[in-house]
Amino acid sequence: MNRYDVIVVGAGPAGLSAAIEAAKLGLKAIVFDENAKPGGQLFKQIHKFFGSKEHKAKVRGFKIGEELLQEASKNGVEVVLNAIVTGLYMDKEVTVKQDDKIVHYKGDTVIIATGASENMVPFEGWTLPGVIGAGAAQTMMNLHRTRPGEKVLMLGSGNVGLVVSYQLLQAGCEVAALVDAAPRVGGYGVHAAKVARCGVPFYLSHTIIKAEGTDCVTGVTIGEVDSSWKIIPGSEKHFDVDTICLAVGLSPMSQLAKMAGCEMEENPLKGGTVPICDEYGETSVKGIFVAGDVSGIEEASSAMIEGRIAGIAAARSLGYIDEEALKEKSKELEAALGSLRQGMFGPGSKGKEIIQTEEGYEISKSLLTKGYIAEDEIFRYPGVTKKTGLHPVIECSQNIPCNPCQDACRKGCIKIGENITSLPVVDQDSECTGCGLCVASCSGQCIFLVEDGIEEGYSAVTMPYEFLPLPRKGDMGAALDRSGTKVCEAEVLEVRVAKAFDHTNLLTIKVPADMTMKARFYVGQEV
Amino acid sequence: MERSIDLGTFVPEPDDDMLICRCEEITKGEIRQAVHDGMFTIEEIRRWLRAGMGLCQGQTCGKLVKGIVAKELKMSPWKIEPATSRAPMRPVEMRIMGNEQLEG
Repeated sequence: MNRYDVIVVGAGPAGLSAAIEAAKLGLKAIVFDENAKPGGQLFKQIHKFFGSKEHKAKVRGFKIGEELLQEASKNGVEVVLNAIVTGLYMDKEVTVKQDDKIVHYKGDTVIIATGASENMVPFEGWTLPGVIGAGAAQTMMNLHRTRPGEKVLMLGSGNVGLVVSYQLLQAGCEVAALVDAAPRVGGYGVHAAKVARCGVPFYLSHTIIKAEGTDCVTGVTIGEVDSSWKIIPGSEKHFDVDTICLAVGLSPMSQLAKMAGCEMEENPLKGGTVPICDEYGETSVKGIFVAGDVSGIEEASSAMIEGRIAGIAAARSLGYIDEEALKEKSKELEAALGSLRQGMFGPGSKGKEIIQTEEGYEISKSLLTKGYIAEDEIFRYPGVTKKTGLHPVIECSQNIPCNPCQDACRKGCIKIGENITSLPVVDQDSECTGCGLCVASCSGQCIFLVEDGIEEGYSAVTMPYEFLPLPRKGDMGAALDRSGTKVCEAEVLEVRVAKAFDHTNLLTIKVPADMTMKARFYVGQEV
Repeated sequence: MERSIDLGTFVPEPDDDMLICRCEEITKGEIRQAVHDGMFTIEEIRRWLRAGMGLCQGQTCGKLVKGIVAKELKMSPWKIEPATSRAPMRPVEMRIMGNEQLEG
C-alpha cells in the first residue's frame, strides 16, 4: 500500500497550507482533491482579502491560491487532482477514486480539509432551473467566465451574498435586489456599501415567497417577515429575474471525520456537525486532524492559518519536531488567528446585535438595514474628516480585522494602531499627496479622496473603480450617492491605472461643490 | 430516544407538495407524514423514504430534512442526530468500486 507521513484531503486554503507546513518539516505529504483544479474556493475569489500583511491582506484570493500552489510544489508536496477520497477507515487507511479504480493509501497522519457545502432554503419553485447557490454563480462567472443570468435576485446579506452580488455587477448582470430575512445586514458594512452605491436595493426582514416560471425562473415574489418569520400580508413585491442566488450559509462537510470515528458535535456557532478537536485541530482519533471550514465555518484567511497549525501538529505527532518546537511554531500562528477573530464579526460576536464600535462610535442603522451609511451618520467616524484641501475620506465604520490602509499612506496620514480592528483615523494635519494608494489598498473600497474648490463651485472626488470598460477622461455621466441614486452630472477628470493598485482603478470625477460628500459612484451616460 | 411523544394528528400544510429531496423526489408532506408514522431520526427517514439517499447523499437536503423533522417533533434541529456517514463519500460506479488496487 502507498504510505505517506501525511495524507491531506482537500486542496483548498486549509489543505494546501497544512501540506506545505508538514512538508517543510520533512514529512512526505500528499493532497487529494476531487476537483479538476486545485485551490478550493480561492480561485473564485477575485476580491482583495482583509486582514493585515501576515494574513495576505489586500491580495486577491486567486493570487493567494497561486502562491500556495507554488509553495506546495517548491516543498515537494504531491497534489493529486480528480481524486475523490471515498472513505477513511481504521488505522488511517484512505480509499481514493482515481480514474477508473479505487486506490488504497495509508497515512501515518491524516488532515481533513474538505471545506463546506452551501445551504439551501426551500420555497415554492426552488427546484426550478435558475435557482442556484451563490457559490455556483461565482464558479460560473469567475472560473468558467459565464454569466449565470441577466437579472439576478440575491438571497442572503452575509459576506458571500454581498461579495457575489458585487461580482455579478462586475460581470455585467443586473442585481434586482438583495434580500435577507434577518433584520440586519449580516456581512461587512463595506461590502454592503459597495453594492448599495451601485443602486442595488436592500430588502432586510424579507424572504422569498416563490420563484415563478414553469420551465425556468422568470420572476420572484418576496415578502416582509414579522418577528416570528411569518410573511406580513400585503407586503409582497415582485421582480422580473431569470436567476435567484441563494447565499444562506455554509455547512461543514465533515462526513469523512464522522466515518473515521471522530467524536462529533452539533454546533450552531460552527455551522453544523463538526468534529471535536483540540487547539491544533487534532480530533478524538489520534493522528487525524481537521482544518478550515470542515471544523467550523469561517473564511479562507483563518483556514490557511488553521491548516498551517495542523500541518505542524502532524509533524509533532510523528516525532519530526518536539513539543517545544510545536509550541513555538504555533504560538505566532495562534496569535495571527486570534487577531483575525477579533472585532464585531468574530466568532465571539455571532448573533449579537452590536450598537457601537469598540471606540464607542454608534453603528450606522442605515448601513445595517439599507446597506449604506446615511448622510447624517457619516461624520461620526474618525476616517471621515472635513477639510478644504485634498484629503482622504475613509468611510470605515465597523471593527473588522483589516489594516492595509495604514501601511499604504507614506505620509502617515492614516492611523489604525496596534489593534487591527480599530477604525482608521485620518490625521488632519498630515499632508495628502493624492497618490491614491490608500484608495486602492482598501479591500472594502471605502476610501475616497476629495478636494474642494478645484475650480469655482466644483470639487473632485476620487473613488475606487473595478468595472470594465473603464470610463475615459472627459466622459460625461452621473454621480451616484451612497444609496445608488443619481445626484448630479459628473465629468471624468482622470482614470488612474497602476500596477500598485492591482486592478482597483482610481476614477476622479468633477462634481458641484455641494456633492463632495455625496457622490460616491459614477455611471457613464447611456449611449 | 423518547418514542412515546404525542405529535397530535397530522394536519396537512399548503406547501406539503414542495420537493425537499430533489434526488429522490421526496416532498415535505411525505417527510412530515413519516415523522407521524414513527420515523424520528434521520436514519429512519432515510431508510423509510430514501430522502438523502440519492446522488448528492443529502448534501443539499440534509439540513432541510432535519429542520422539518425537528419542527414536527417540536424540538431543536441541533438535537436531531445526523445520519451515519459511510463510504463512498461521493457516488462511485460499481465497476470502479470493484476495481480496487492496493498499489497506486
